[in-house]
Amino acid sequence: MNDKLSLTELQLIIRDSLYMALPDMYWVVAEISEIKENYAGHCYLELIEKHPDEKNVRARARAIIWSNRYQFLKSFFENITGETLKEGLNILVKIKVEYHEVYGLSLVITDIDPAFTIGEMAVKRQLVIKRLEQEGVFSMNKELEISPVPQRIAIISSKNAAGYSDFINHLTGNSFGYVFYTALIESAMQGPETEQGVISALNKIADKSGLFDLVVIIRGGGSQSDLSWFDSYNIAYHVTQFPLPVITGIGHEKDVSVTDMVANISLKTPTAVADFLIEKISLAENRLFEICTEIKNISRTIIENNRTRIETSAIKLIPLARIMMNELKDKLSEKIIDIINVGKEFTFKAGLIPANQESKLNSAVKSFLTVKKTSLERTSQNFISSTLNALSRKNIRLDGLDNTLNILNPDNVLKRGYTITSLYGIIIKRSGLLKKDDLIDTQFSDGKIRSRVTHLKSNVKR
Amino acid sequence: MAKKEFSFNEAMIEIEDILGNIENGELDIDKLSVEVKRASELIKQCQKKLRAIEEEINSTFKDMV
Repeated sequence: MNDKLSLTELQLIIRDSLYMALPDMYWVVAEISEIKENYAGHCYLELIEKHPDEKNVRARARAIIWSNRYQFLKSFFENITGETLKEGLNILVKIKVEYHEVYGLSLVITDIDPAFTIGEMAVKRQLVIKRLEQEGVFSMNKELEISPVPQRIAIISSKNAAGYSDFINHLTGNSFGYVFYTALIESAMQGPETEQGVISALNKIADKSGLFDLVVIIRGGGSQSDLSWFDSYNIAYHVTQFPLPVITGIGHEKDVSVTDMVANISLKTPTAVADFLIEKISLAENRLFEICTEIKNISRTIIENNRTRIETSAIKLIPLARIMMNELKDKLSEKIIDIINVGKEFTFKAGLIPANQESKLNSAVKSFLTVKKTSLERTSQNFISSTLNALSRKNIRLDGLDNTLNILNPDNVLKRGYTITSLYGIIIKRSGLLKKDDLIDTQFSDGKIRSRVTHLKSNVKR
Repeated sequence: MAKKEFSFNEAMIEIEDILGNIENGELDIDKLSVEVKRASELIKQCQKKLRAIEEEINSTFKDMV
């Protein structure tokens, strides 16, 4: 054999040696750094190994999954893990080493163990959670209180995602007629651009946090894959630090991502998030109704109580008023009687003497009698008119007022038994003015008599 | 930055305050009427806020997108 080898010869030696050294299938752990499917359905990957904290790649190799095998493994993997095969995933695969003189080394993947990937994902997730807990930020967004009436919503989603239009339709079509104000800040919701997109959207919203009541992160109705993009420490961290409550509806039925765990509220679907917001406002409105009813009821009671107070007082008032009226009437009657009695006194003093009273009359007085007669008449007249004046000045209208006047009329006085005594036509009001054997005239209501004085007796002590 | 001139939350607090006063029985009839009117006004505004689009807020949001 020559010292010189052709390249082909060399490659074939390598190929055979490799086959001798590694004839079997081997289970290998690696990370997918690239993955593509070509038009024929074959899957080409680049596998690497690196320490999670290191940037440097320790090992790299190309791998291939032939199309018919790939279709099966792909759905098998997705069903179990809920994830698609994608960059960044750690996988456990069964490989056969192949070496081609033209294409070089490639690892042919014939099988995959999804449980490993689940385990890896879970471990990664746990690490992220631990880190957030240790930093003391895990619950920070959960501590924010959601406004009772969350009307102003910032949405992080992809415009074309079915989840977004579901969400908007649900909100705007709510049966209560509540109004919502929404703004969409777009971001990729899957793939490697997710982390950057969501964080950038969060930052934009944070700059204008005064405009919004809360942030909603929503994605695809019901798709199961690609949730692990939201296991990112960075996204979760930004959510914990966010000044507004963050609600997630990233559409995963089986599992929750770390972002879901740190969010203020995490719900299964965008529609569920919409329902939650509508429900919140409905609760606030119910509280309004309750208060309204309470105010009405209590006010009614207060008004009723006061009405009862008034009616009770009125009921007591009426009999009291009556009693007062009666007392006044009695007082008035007494006044009338007083006036009558005063009248009697005056009449008596004017010289009218009851006929049944025995009296001895004195001798007559000369000029004194004339004056007395005139003044007597004047006094009677004055009395009558002043009584009338007094009564009319006081404006007393009573039943029997006429009666009173009648009573005081001298004619009626005579009718009641009083008489007028006169001597020689001059009215005598004192017995002392007469003497024995005087001829006096006595006027009765129905006529006159003449009599002679026989005895005089004076009541006055001299 | 759009400022909410009428705040639903502040209104709720005031309404609950008024309710508290009425429940205490500390209001006489004259004050009762004033307070109930105020509460009624606030409640109306709250309900309006829930359902009537406020142009000021709406246009701010349209700009955001």
